[in-house]
Amino acid sequence: MRRPFVAAVFLFAPALSAADGRLQFNRDIRPILSEKCFLCHGPDAKTKNIPIRLDVETEAKADHNGRRAIVPGDPDKSELIRRISAEKKPLLMPPVYSGLKLTAHEVETLRVWIAQGAEWQKHWAFIAPVRPELPRVRNSSWPRNAIDHFILARLEREILSPSPETSRETLLRRASLDVTGLPPTPAEIDAFLGDASPEAWTKVVDRLLASPRYGERMAARWLDYARYADTNGYQFDGERYMWRWRDWVISAFNRNLPYDRFVLEQIAGDMLPGATLDQVIATGFNRNHRGNTEDGIVPEEYAVEYVVDRVETTCTVFLGLTMGCARCHNHKYDPFSQREFYQLFAYFNNIPENGRAMKYGNSPPLVAAPTAEQQQAHARLQAQIRAVEEFLADREPQIARAQQQWEHHLPAAGTLYWAPPAGIASIFELELPGLAATPAGPPEYKAGRVGNAAWFDGTTFLQYGEYGNFDIEDHWTIAAWVYGDGKLDGPVASRMADNPKGRGYGLHLNNGRVHVHLTSVYETDALRVETEESIAPGQWHHLAATYDGSRMVDGVSVYIDGRPAKLKFHANTLYRPFRNAGRRFAEPFRIAGGWGTERRFKGGTDDVRLYARVLSREEIESLAVGQPVGYLAGQPPSRRTAAEARLLRWHFLENAAPNEIRQAWDRLVSLRREREILERSFPTVMVMAEQPVRRDTFFLVRGAYDKPGEKVEAGVPLALPPLPPAAPNNRLGFARWLVDPSNPLTARVAVNRTWQMYLGVGLVKTTEDFGVQGEWPSHPELLDWLATEFVRSGWDMKALQKLILTSATYRQSSRVSAELLQKDPGNRLLARGPRFRLPAEMIRDQALLAAGLLAEKLGGPSVKPYQPPDLWKELIMQDMEYVQSKGPDLYRRSLYTFWKRTVPPPVMVNFDSANREVCVVRESRTNTPLQALNMMNDVTFLEAARFIGQRMMNEGGSTPELRLRHGFRLLTGRAPVSGELEILQDSLRYHLDYFAGKPEAVDAYLNQGVSPPDPALGRRELASYAAVASLILNLDEAVTKE
Amino acid sequence: MDPVTERRLLITRRHFFSAGSTGIGIAALSSLLARKAHAAGGLSGLPHHTPKAKRVIYLFQHGAPSQLDLFDYKPELARLRGANLPDSVRRGQRLTGMTAYQETFPTAPSVFQFSRQGQSGLWLSELLPHTGKAADDICLVKSLHTEAINHDPAVTFFQTGFQLAGRPSIGAWVSYGLGSENENLPAFVVMVSQGVGNAQALAERAWASGFLPTRHQGVKFRASSDPVLYLSNPPGYDSTARRRYLDDLARLNQMKLADYQDPEIATRIAQYEMAFRMQSSVPELADLSTEPESTFDLYGPDSRKPGSYAANCILARRLAERGVRFIQLFHRGWDQHGNLPKEIRGQCLQTDQPSAALIADLKQRGMLDETLIVWGGEFGRTVYSQGTLTEDNYGRDHHPRCFAMVLAGGGIKGGRTYGETDDFSYNIVENPVDVHDLHATILHLLGVDHTRLTFKFQGRHYRLTDVAGNMIRGILT
Repeated sequence: MRRPFVAAVFLFAPALSAADGRLQFNRDIRPILSEKCFLCHGPDAKTKNIPIRLDVETEAKADHNGRRAIVPGDPDKSELIRRISAEKKPLLMPPVYSGLKLTAHEVETLRVWIAQGAEWQKHWAFIAPVRPELPRVRNSSWPRNAIDHFILARLEREILSPSPETSRETLLRRASLDVTGLPPTPAEIDAFLGDASPEAWTKVVDRLLASPRYGERMAARWLDYARYADTNGYQFDGERYMWRWRDWVISAFNRNLPYDRFVLEQIAGDMLPGATLDQVIATGFNRNHRGNTEDGIVPEEYAVEYVVDRVETTCTVFLGLTMGCARCHNHKYDPFSQREFYQLFAYFNNIPENGRAMKYGNSPPLVAAPTAEQQQAHARLQAQIRAVEEFLADREPQIARAQQQWEHHLPAAGTLYWAPPAGIASIFELELPGLAATPAGPPEYKAGRVGNAAWFDGTTFLQYGEYGNFDIEDHWTIAAWVYGDGKLDGPVASRMADNPKGRGYGLHLNNGRVHVHLTSVYETDALRVETEESIAPGQWHHLAATYDGSRMVDGVSVYIDGRPAKLKFHANTLYRPFRNAGRRFAEPFRIAGGWGTERRFKGGTDDVRLYARVLSREEIESLAVGQPVGYLAGQPPSRRTAAEARLLRWHFLENAAPNEIRQAWDRLVSLRREREILERSFPTVMVMAEQPVRRDTFFLVRGAYDKPGEKVEAGVPLALPPLPPAAPNNRLGFARWLVDPSNPLTARVAVNRTWQMYLGVGLVKTTEDFGVQGEWPSHPELLDWLATEFVRSGWDMKALQKLILTSATYRQSSRVSAELLQKDPGNRLLARGPRFRLPAEMIRDQALLAAGLLAEKLGGPSVKPYQPPDLWKELIMQDMEYVQSKGPDLYRRSLYTFWKRTVPPPVMVNFDSANREVCVVRESRTNTPLQALNMMNDVTFLEAARFIGQRMMNEGGSTPELRLRHGFRLLTGRAPVSGELEILQDSLRYHLDYFAGKPEAVDAYLNQGVSPPDPALGRRELASYAAVASLILNLDEAVTKE
Repeated sequence: MDPVTERRLLITRRHFFSAGSTGIGIAALSSLLARKAHAAGGLSGLPHHTPKAKRVIYLFQHGAPSQLDLFDYKPELARLRGANLPDSVRRGQRLTGMTAYQETFPTAPSVFQFSRQGQSGLWLSELLPHTGKAADDICLVKSLHTEAINHDPAVTFFQTGFQLAGRPSIGAWVSYGLGSENENLPAFVVMVSQGVGNAQALAERAWASGFLPTRHQGVKFRASSDPVLYLSNPPGYDSTARRRYLDDLARLNQMKLADYQDPEIATRIAQYEMAFRMQSSVPELADLSTEPESTFDLYGPDSRKPGSYAANCILARRLAERGVRFIQLFHRGWDQHGNLPKEIRGQCLQTDQPSAALIADLKQRGMLDETLIVWGGEFGRTVYSQGTLTEDNYGRDHHPRCFAMVLAGGGIKGGRTYGETDDFSYNIVENPVDVHDLHATILHLLGVDHTRLTFKFQGRHYRLTDVAGNMIRGILT
């Protein structure tokens, strides 16, 4: 080849010299028109009053006042050619001011294409792939499977040959990293080297794909696409809990959930008939977007941003489309109108959410998502509860008899009352005066409803210290007997700042109506509900309020005299805890106090109770009975209300039943309480949900939330196939459309990304853009073959990867010659194997595995490994602290590392990790000095190096040579060659000398990380081996998939 | 290339030749070194025109300082004290969720005195006595406005030209376009200091590289033993040992390069060498002990405190001297929703003297003409009081519709005021300047046509100024 460099430049440019000499619109022409002309003469031309569109065939060839942009077969008559080759500046296209310019080569290409007849093609990616025939190749012994036919055919066309197969060691390390994200162990290497059977490689591939590490490896990338993080982003950036969704992803990969199900469940799992918890959790995919919690925001603005993010992410990840470009105007390049953007928007706009996200924790809608262990524990408890319930049910006649006898012997008088014992926090019986400080003087104590009561005169109140210390995520019940004197206004009980808009919570009377509030900021951050009915003055009423920690107005219930009351709400956003941002919340619990001095309660209050749980309706009914047990027993059973009968039974079971029964009952009560506590410990996860009444969607003028235009209905873009016949026109139907085999994009985009994971670059390099501005595929037929094969296999993700892994293409050596490097620097033709720096997480995980430190455990809450001190403190505002994990959690795989969006983990950032703020599907790799510093000086890698050094000494053998070989192999998966070994030995000798006579230096150097060194080893020696291990860890080869 | 770098590279080259690499190894390295030299100069074709400024020092006042109490003198307001902000002024403009529910919007004139400063007679608040002395060097732009009304989107907008996350920051654009003048330091350096006032969170995204290659991200210098993360060798390991370690590493990597001929290996060798150079150049830079007394006198008492705004201003000058292209300081604490008079006084005590000192210092070194200084926050503050207005206390909410910034140095006309607001400092009445205009102007002064510094991503040619941006010609020399 005489001019290899020129060949490289035109590798993917129009092939004017192609065998048949025919230009193809999709491959050769559209890229030029799109890049240089569509900005004005494209889909958005009309809004700019530009008459000619060059993206639509009929318009490009139509007559405009006697002139035609394109006259097929006649370049000289074509206005397009005239204008792009005009010599006078005012006539020249593109205009000079645009900064765009056609090269001579491009002009010539357009000219030739018009001369050849100007044949148009629909954009390739919008036409469903058709399975191509395998191309014929001359070297028929090379291909191992279909992939290789396509690759080789192209190589042969370019007069190139594939590279020889790489060594077994290199191949094993390459695939182990690709499939599991971790390098092979020496034992695995030996096993493969020793396996002479023809299926040796297939066995390795099957083993790797079956490893649970596979799910973690695949999930790491999927989290990038899905912009997964452990915090909300934007300003405050508080913690959220999406790890149950992350664990769903890992499990879905490990179960080899077919890709169509994988997509369907993440987009609309909640809408599937009989959706399982897992399918609902899957929809967390579209709740991973950032959430703004800042005080001053206009929630409507961000509600729009969330939906836009869902549309953009969904379109990028599943369709490879840059749909976000059509938010403010028609797409400049692709055939999507702004209206169509909002039609897609409508699919994701029906979720009951608030534009202002919760400052701490998850924002609704969310579900409790118990882990597998929790589900098992729960099932166990359920079974135990059922067993005791059955035990008691079986003995019902015996219990009833015993109760009857007991009732008979009970004295009718007496003041023994019964109340539910479980979860009681405080009881204020108010029998004894003088319990609490009373700034306004003591109340009067006299007879009340169920004992003594405190009587307040409109100025007095009671004040207790640390009682009812509940915050907005706690569960509680407040109950009290209340007797209103006249006006029926003022606080019953509260824990809040003593003013009308005070922070805290309370149960109050507002002009006769029962009012309950939880207030962080009165105007903007509170739940306030009020009963529709009023209670009457001059009589005792039993009031109760419950709150379930949900921060939602639905989480508050109010009971009057044991009956649930109908509520109206006045405020329904609660997102900051009372103790927000390090604020103290030292208010005392008050009875009849807490709305300020202007509004004190006048009347009696009796038997105030606080429970640290939500009492059931039946339990509250029992509190509202308000009769002594003896009195109730004296009533004939027929005259007892259901609540009274239940109360008596509960009291009997608890206090007077035969031993065996009483013990069973005690056990039942405590098991139920245990179940309740377990349920409250369930992690939650944000998920998608549908509002019962569909929210209207409007076209937004220039994409602005406050400029709604006309109403639009949900729908898919015209340039793509319609919804499948049976699919409903909602999110579920949209999901079915995504995975319908007629969809031209979904399978192609998925196989392309998989290809990128293994070969480093997608067949379409622009993984994120399959639109007209995207890059023409390097191997279009291979892409289509893989896409159709993927669908044919039932969207089998593991099978697709096995195909790649077992191809000859993948198994090539990644050595490159000068000639090949010049001809194909980016290795797009694949005349050699892939060679790329490892992604961020693999660099750390590999070090931990080689060190023997890696703590392997699938899933669970995110962890906080080593991070330089104060990184968070320097930037954040409030009370979030980076508390370093302890024990094994310091050494978990990096996909479990806590990801704070505004201050991401530095090692991940340094090594080009996706930003996790928005969807990123293209992998990027740079090579910077910060990476070098990170690898050489970060405690993570220093501690790992020390443990690798320790392994060299303990496992390697007795000589330095054997030990160095072992260490080298742990990280590179191969034995060092003699030149390498010499350098390592040199380095070891140097370090032994260096550390000689410097015990302090040795101590300091070994004192990196919290795991202590093996005390049996010589410290100077260990330090020296650790230094050499660090050297190996920093080798180009060690951080590279070769 | 400075002599030290030259020697370093020669040593590396020599290693190559001595390691007996094949011809291609040497060729790859040579071409790499050639590319490096080119990369240091940025994109080909840049600068587009002769720059007025070689570098930028951007003093970001994070949290949004009140224009009404520092720069925008409104003597008429005193008479209207406590009066409700007229609807004719507010015109139903949106407010933040923090004051939208407020029943009244009492006009709160500044409690601070203003006076004319310098030959040019610029009106400045008594809170800025030192800035007053530099009045003839600065240009006060009073007519900035932005789209965002909350901190995070507003900062993101100022830093990246877009309110939502994901785009490259201005410093990353400059690094991408113009490259570095110093082989031993990054082209874009960021420092953060804490104020005494109410602080808001700041995100690393403010200096991220977005879709540009990661090497263009801002490198944060911190006031700790590690001025750059992971810069220091571990305890017990000195630079002699590190040098030897790197030599061995390079020998091994060269063997790999000879075998595989992947140019990335050569790049990696070079990056490890640059890391080593940074290990000496950065501490040398961060070490203020070589500064004479007069420096600390000039920048004020805080300047001896590592990590303070004042110390960072000295560092900014040292970075400028060493050819760092884009130096950005963030000083937090300007979010005065309440207790404004007390808090802003504290903020100014920390920032006024060092900011003015930086101008004077650069001037005395003859560097002011080639350094563009930008001082300002992410939006302004309301004329009406947030919360209760009393005799000597008030707060101000976010106000995106007008605010002031200060520019000085290379290409900027000193002693000048640009733009005008209405009597309430609520709306702009003359020469509005939006964020993209400021960006276009900064790039212009660096010799860059903002419409031609683009990066293709997701099928689109992105630029810092999106589809907008007009140069602010009225402030240029």
